[in-house]
Amino acid sequence: MADCQETLNELDRFLDSELSPGDKEEIMGHLSVCTDCQGAFQFHAELREVVKKKALADELPDGFLDRLKNCFGDQILDDH
Amino acid sequence: MEARENFSADVMQYAPQLFSTAVRMTRNRADAEDLVQETYLKAWRAFDSYEQGTNLRAWLFRIMTNTYINKYNAKLRRPDETELDDVEELYLFRRMGAFDQSKMSASAEDQMFELFTDDEVKSAIEDLPESFRLPVLLSDVEGFSYKEISEMLDVPIGTVMSRLHRGRKTMHKRLYQYAKDRGLVNEALLVETDGASAPSQPE
Ligand SMILES: [Zn+2]
Repeated sequence: MADCQETLNELDRFLDSELSPGDKEEIMGHLSVCTDCQGAFQFHAELREVVKKKALADELPDGFLDRLKNCFGDQILDDH
Repeated sequence: MEARENFSADVMQYAPQLFSTAVRMTRNRADAEDLVQETYLKAWRAFDSYEQGTNLRAWLFRIMTNTYINKYNAKLRRPDETELDDVEELYLFRRMGAFDQSKMSASAEDQMFELFTDDEVKSAIEDLPESFRLPVLLSDVEGFSYKEISEMLDVPIGTVMSRLHRGRKTMHKRLYQYAKDRGLVNEALLVETDGASAPSQPE
């Protein structure tokens, strides 16, 4: 089974869903018996969710979607 | 004609996330709006090259990333060894014991969410040099795979991985600094609780 260092080395790939099923299983095996590593993985998974939510929280400028739709409108007329 | 009308409706659903990512890329709302508009114009013109049934979201982000790189002459290929200071592994995680519980939300689920403000998270990303900022945005925020990011940025997968790793550590260190600046951190606690709240350095 993977030890702590080997497990922590795979933290990025694990959270990025880039591990093969076998490697993922090995990491899960270690996490099920090691609360230290489990805490580290849990922490980074939660942090990722928070970063994602907050980095996408931008209010759109007034009229933005209408102006975007015009990108298509003109060319629809051109095509006729 | 019919297909093109569906296409414009389909791409509009991605406008909010394209805009947010464009703001993080350009660090400016007006430039971000221009970037998304250019992306949609190019997407409309390149409509014929879009293969129906393939990942429309990835295709749009690829156009936007290329547009950003060309328009701002982004330097993604230069050696980046000196661009970021080395940050120790698990930097933020190992310092969580220093956060003053009395200043934090009582509910464990909300704690992480309330620990950092929206503006702090945005700044922590925007402060990264662009060769790190783009991979972090495309992975942590947009969830694209290493392969997709490698194709969008035209850099090898190994480079994507190392830049993600270093970019994230720097972003986490910045978040800690912001929390510290806001008085959420008591580093005396860190010494006392070291080892209790974080795993010791693996042998
Ligand atoms: Zn472990």
